Amino acid sequence: MIQKSSKFILISASVIVSTLLFVIPLVAASIYSFKGNQGKGYSFANYLWLMHQDGFFQSLVTTLKLAILAGALNLILMVPTMVFLNLKGAKFKPLVDFLCILPLIIPVVSLAIGAQVSMPSILQNTEYELVFFYVVISLPFTFRALDNALQAVSLNTLVEASRNLGATWFRTIVKVIVPSIKSGIFSAMFLTFALSIGEYTITSLLHWDTFSTWTVVAGQQNILGAIAISIFSFVGAIALLTIIALFSNKSKKLIEVKE
Amino acid sequence: MQSLKSFKVKSFTAALPLLPFLAFTGFFLLWPVLAVTIRSFKGNKNEWTLANYHPILKTGPYLHAFVTSIKLSAITSIIGAALGAFFAYVVVKYAHGKISSILDSISAVFANSGGVPLAFMFVAAFGTEGIVTKVLKFFGWDIYAGHFTIFSFGGVVLVYSFFQIPLMLLVFKPAISGLKNEWVEASRNLGASNIFYWRRVALPILTPPFIGAFFLLFAGGFSAYATARALTVGTVPLVPIIIGTLVDGNVISDQANLGDALAVGMILVAALAMTGYLFAQRKTVQWKNL
Repeated sequence: MIQKSSKFILISASVIVSTLLFVIPLVAASIYSFKGNQGKGYSFANYLWLMHQDGFFQSLVTTLKLAILAGALNLILMVPTMVFLNLKGAKFKPLVDFLCILPLIIPVVSLAIGAQVSMPSILQNTEYELVFFYVVISLPFTFRALDNALQAVSLNTLVEASRNLGATWFRTIVKVIVPSIKSGIFSAMFLTFALSIGEYTITSLLHWDTFSTWTVVAGQQNILGAIAISIFSFVGAIALLTIIALFSNKSKKLIEVKE
Repeated sequence: MQSLKSFKVKSFTAALPLLPFLAFTGFFLLWPVLAVTIRSFKGNKNEWTLANYHPILKTGPYLHAFVTSIKLSAITSIIGAALGAFFAYVVVKYAHGKISSILDSISAVFANSGGVPLAFMFVAAFGTEGIVTKVLKFFGWDIYAGHFTIFSFGGVVLVYSFFQIPLMLLVFKPAISGLKNEWVEASRNLGASNIFYWRRVALPILTPPFIGAFFLLFAGGFSAYATARALTVGTVPLVPIIIGTLVDGNVISDQANLGDALAVGMILVAALAMTGYLFAQRKTVQWKNL
């Protein structure tokens, strides 16, 4: 009986607090975003307004392009590195772990200033320089996600079996290791993607225009439009993440069943 | 056997597969930090000097900005750590399967990609014309009666908590999941009450990860830029915002490299916080190995 009543109290307390803190502001902002011009009535006017603004699609496309590239580069760089560390390079793991946690220690503002000072002009002149820094800021999360996934499989056995059967290293990584750590790769890729889409600090300090910097500029002209964009990106991101989370749960279950 | 033999390679070639990673982090992470540190010690005529650091060390707007930034991140990390830990406990204990993964996704979005959208959402809810403000006023509580505005320190505290609490939930969940059921049973069987179990078993185990998470939140809050930038446009003096205005060239300073010195100062403060985090994490690992 005590168990049940404490469960009830804890759950209702957290539901009430989280409703006050998170649900109500989100709902309030959603209602706000549908307000008509001069605060009269409710309509999709703000959403239509933002789509007709200069640079809406352009900045959205730029952001998606950079985010996809960052996700891809991140995997190309980190999957072989993490496989190596878990297979043969255990003694280098503390070093790589430390380098990967540095982006949490070094404030992004400082990194951005440093980039301005140090990057060669050939990179500074193209928006693709952002891809590299998006990868840098997602290193802490990538390291954890891939490391957890790799430690959950018996890597040595898999690799030995594959190599003994005559597979090349490249083939072993692509056909054996990657499928067995799919969930880790998924979350690493998604986190990089999500971070890149929302990234504002480096982007604005290096004076590039992406969706997030565009939002701030648009918000200065029309606050209702900016709120509409915010709701749009929040709901979009939550939906996307939820779908991927549910999907990766499912694939995990499939593997368990197979075994 | 052939493949087993190939595992034994000389120590130089052993590190070769790390080359791409080391080159990448060396060029895009270490080199920028080194470059900004070097330039922070250079004067207007490219001579070596400590002059860029003088405005930070003496009483004035820059020192004040550091104090404000540290105060802001300390307060919001305490709020975030306390409430986030509570949510983490409830989620681990009572939410399973799909609900748990949906809550994870929502927390991840609030904690990581919040930034700019969070600021605007916050205006809609708590601004002078905000819906929450109006509802509270209807019930007789005018939050704008005192000094509070969303563009003030109190406003930034409120909006920062919005990403600190979900971040804590994500960071602290593994620690709570690590509490083994056997420990509860063992202490029950030995006659311990619920309160005794919490005081003598659960809390000592959870303390190091809690402190570690607090420092992580602190470092995150200290470096946060986007939310405050979109929300306050410089009304609350925070170090990252000041660096941003210096870089954008809106403020003319007689010291060209003052921004670099501020950036290095930020790295030092954040490094201190992360030392606390790493230390607490070591303690956590010790517990795990028991």
